[in-house]
Formats: sequence, C-alpha cells, structure tokens
Amino acid sequence: MSERTPKVIFENVSKSFDVKGDKLEVLESIDLTVGEGELVCLLGPSGCGKSTLLNIAGGFEQPSSGTIKIDGELITAPDPRRVFVFQEYGIFPWASVWDNVVLGLRHLSKDKQYEIASEIIDLVGLSGFEKTYPMALSGGMKQRVEVARALAVSPDVLYMDEPFGALDSLTRLTMRSELIRIWKDRKPTILFVTHDVDEAIQLAERVVVFTGRPGSIAGVIPIDLEHPRDLGSAQYGVIKNKLYELLGVSHLI
Amino acid sequence: MTTPLIVIAVAALCFLIGTRGSARVQNILLPLSVTAILVGLWDLACVLTDTQVFPTPAKTWAAFGEIVESERLWGDTVASLFRVTWGFLLAAAVGIPLGLVVGWSTRTFRALNPIIQGLRPISPIAWIPIAILWFGIGDGAGIFLIFLSSFFPITVGTMAAVRNISLVHQRSAMNFQMTGLELFRRVVFPASLPQIITSLRISLGVAWLVIVAAEMVGMDSGLGYLINDARNAGSRYDLVVATMIIIGLIGIVLDLLIRQLEKFDEVRWGYVNR
Repeated sequence: MSERTPKVIFENVSKSFDVKGDKLEVLESIDLTVGEGELVCLLGPSGCGKSTLLNIAGGFEQPSSGTIKIDGELITAPDPRRVFVFQEYGIFPWASVWDNVVLGLRHLSKDKQYEIASEIIDLVGLSGFEKTYPMALSGGMKQRVEVARALAVSPDVLYMDEPFGALDSLTRLTMRSELIRIWKDRKPTILFVTHDVDEAIQLAERVVVFTGRPGSIAGVIPIDLEHPRDLGSAQYGVIKNKLYELLGVSHLI
Repeated sequence: MTTPLIVIAVAALCFLIGTRGSARVQNILLPLSVTAILVGLWDLACVLTDTQVFPTPAKTWAAFGEIVESERLWGDTVASLFRVTWGFLLAAAVGIPLGLVVGWSTRTFRALNPIIQGLRPISPIAWIPIAILWFGIGDGAGIFLIFLSSFFPITVGTMAAVRNISLVHQRSAMNFQMTGLELFRRVVFPASLPQIITSLRISLGVAWLVIVAAEMVGMDSGLGYLINDARNAGSRYDLVVATMIIIGLIGIVLDLLIRQLEKFDEVRWGYVNR
C-alpha cells in the first residue's frame, strides 16, 4: 500500500448539521489517505457518517472543517472524473439502458459514443439490453447500468454508497465478484461504503472502520488476500474477528 | 309499471350470474347490469310519481334521436370542444414551462408561488363577468375561461413534480455536469413528466366541467348553452337529460384519449412504483 501514489487525502474532516437549532456532530476529524487504484471500504454502523463522508468527497456536501484533496486539488463540487454510484438507483428510468450509459459521453461524437458504450455494456454483461428501459430490469441489472454509466467516462475515482444494499443476498455476491473483475480490468480508485462486514472483507484492500455517531475512524485493517477470496479460510475468520472487535460488537451471538 | 320491474329483475339476475364469472365477464356484465338497474329505477320512479316534467328513459332516448337529427348537436359539440381544446393547449403551453422554472428555481418559487396559490382558489366561474367584459360573448371568453381553469392545476402540478425529483437523480445530473437547458431537457422535464401528465388529465376533466357551466351563463352556443336553451324553450327536460348524457360520454372519451399519454416507455416508470 505504501508505495502507491496518494490519490484522495482527507485532512481533519469534520461535519455537523443544524437540527432545529441543535448542533448534530456527524463526523469528527477524519484523516485518511487513499492510494491510486486502491479499493477501500468504509465500514460502520448506520448513522456513523460514512455516507456523509462520501457525499463530501463527491462534492455534494461541504465539510464543516477540514479539506479533501484529490490529486492535490481541493474538492468543492461534483465532477465527472469522479462518479457516484447510489444505492437507490441513480440511473434515469425515463431513458433506455443505452441512453443512460452514454449520458457522460454526450459531448463526444456518435462514433466514439458507440465505441465506448458498447464496450462498457459488454463489460458489465448487459449486451442485448441496450434498448430496454430500467423499469423492465431486475435490481442487479439496474446497478450494472449504473456502474456502466459511471465507467463510461473512465473516472479516476468511483464512490459507491452501499450500491448493492437493495439487492438480494445471492445477487449481491455475484455483483461483488463482478465489481472485483471490473476493478482489476480498469483499476479506478474505489471508495465503497458498507455496513456489511462480509462485503468489506470480500472486496477491500483496506477496511476503514468507523465508530458510531459522531463518526471517527476506529481503525484501519489491511487485507492482503488475493481475489477470489475464500470465505471459509482461517485468515478470513481472523480478519472478521478484528473488524467485529473494532466495531465494538461480538461475533458470537 | 311492469316494464321497469321486469328490467330490474332481469338486470339483477344478470348481476348475480356476473358475480360468478371470470374477471373479464365481471368487467362487462357487472357495470352493464348496474346501469340497467339504475335506468329501471329511474323509469319506476317516473311511473310511481306520475311526473309530467321529468322525462322517462324512453322519452330521453327519443330526445337523443331528436338532437342528433336536428344537427344542432354537432355544432354545439364542436363549439364546446373547440374552446376546451384551445384553452387547454394554451394552458399547457404556458403552464408546463412556467411550472418547470418555478419548481426548479427556489427564488422564482418564493416570488411567484404566493400569487399562484392566491389566484388558484378563485373558481373559473367567478371570472365569467370579466371574461365577457374582455372578450365578449363567444369563443374568446370560453377559451379564456378554460385557460384559467387548466392553467392553475397544470402549473401547480408541474411545480410539485419538479420539487419531487429524487435527490439521486439531481445528484446524478450534477455529477455529469448538466446545466441550463440541457438539464431541463434531459432531467428536470423527463423526471417530472409522469406527474405532469397526471395534472394534464385532471385539468382536462376540470375544463370539461367548466365549459358547460360557462356556456350556460355567458355564451350562445355549445353543449352548456344547449341545456339552457332546452329548458328555456318549453321545459324540454328530455333534451336536458339527453344532453347531460352526451356530455358525460364525451368526458369519458376525452379521458381515454389523454390516458394514452401514460403508455409511453419514457413515463411508465412513474405510474408503477409509487
């Protein structure tokens, strides 16, 4: 990890909201450096501010204090070089799969659009569905469209906010291995928010564990296992124990 | 006395048979038999009260034929539809763009929403004197009144639709740096379209209600005028009821037509998961 060029740098990021005159602290002095091409999972209980941190990184919200820099550049607004993948389907239901995927390519020539979009649609396994509208697709396929729309612009960074949270558990497993395949193919930097311990261990090179509100970093666990990872291996169990410990919950129930 | 009783009995029997049928049979037989029972009761009431003014179903049916043959029906229907069509289209042409802008821009919303909300509760009927003052008795006044009656539901419906656009779609648009006209064309308008169509449907229904009232008070043609004329020209209540039924049937056809808009792939998503 240490030899990687730093890509995303969070420096002392805090965030609070005003709720009916009271100050609600959501994030407390987050310091984190994510390397270029790294896949990092932000793991924590609901309401710990991990999604807020992602929204700040995406430029949708401003930190109350602290800074986020990508390639040394201060983040103040959303940018197509860094694309967000939402849990609740950010793709446009009024547009076909094809029109969704070419959204970020609209300034390119038709030929170029065709070349990139057909390659990406093939990569996410949606060939043959180009003219279909999202309403007719399953949840997993909708998320594939959203990932394709994001990848089409060749972003440096992908922000994924519990992207598979709304899917059934089997589809979720498939989508995780697909994500790993695509990540290895394209090598974007990925910040992946989840509250699912297994998901974090299956995906991440490093897991950043958050405490409850106000969210701060409880610890960072590197996972030096090759993909595909063996869910039944001894190391897997050890890492899982460590994560549960950091989260402050017992895995023995 | 016996004819309506027989009609009611046969219709009730059909109703009972219908309840045991498949969904398709029910969809046809149940409404038909209920309608037949109501017509039977209407006829029975006429016989029992021995009314000399209110028409029986048979008289109404005859009046129906009379209006159709007199060729007045065609002219008055066209007059009503002409006013509704133009008033409605003008209201949509102004109301949809205005609603999109007012709904999207918070400052415009703050400036205009109180005025819109203040004018909205004024019944279009209350505008009739002013409509006649400005446009005289004729199509102009009718179109103006229909414009008013459709403009507010369309504008307010479009505003609400825009303000309901989900945060993830707004953020997706921001993420891909959409601004200005492109943002409206690719996101704001299509995201609001299902609800806009619903408000169009509601306002077309209201427009059809309003035109009849307007024609009864301030115009000299149209289906509303036909009703008034039939009553004034010798209490022809058979013509009144026949015209009412025609108004109802045209209303159904208008609604069926505008509902076709809900069937396009671009908007169907808006009617399923809500």
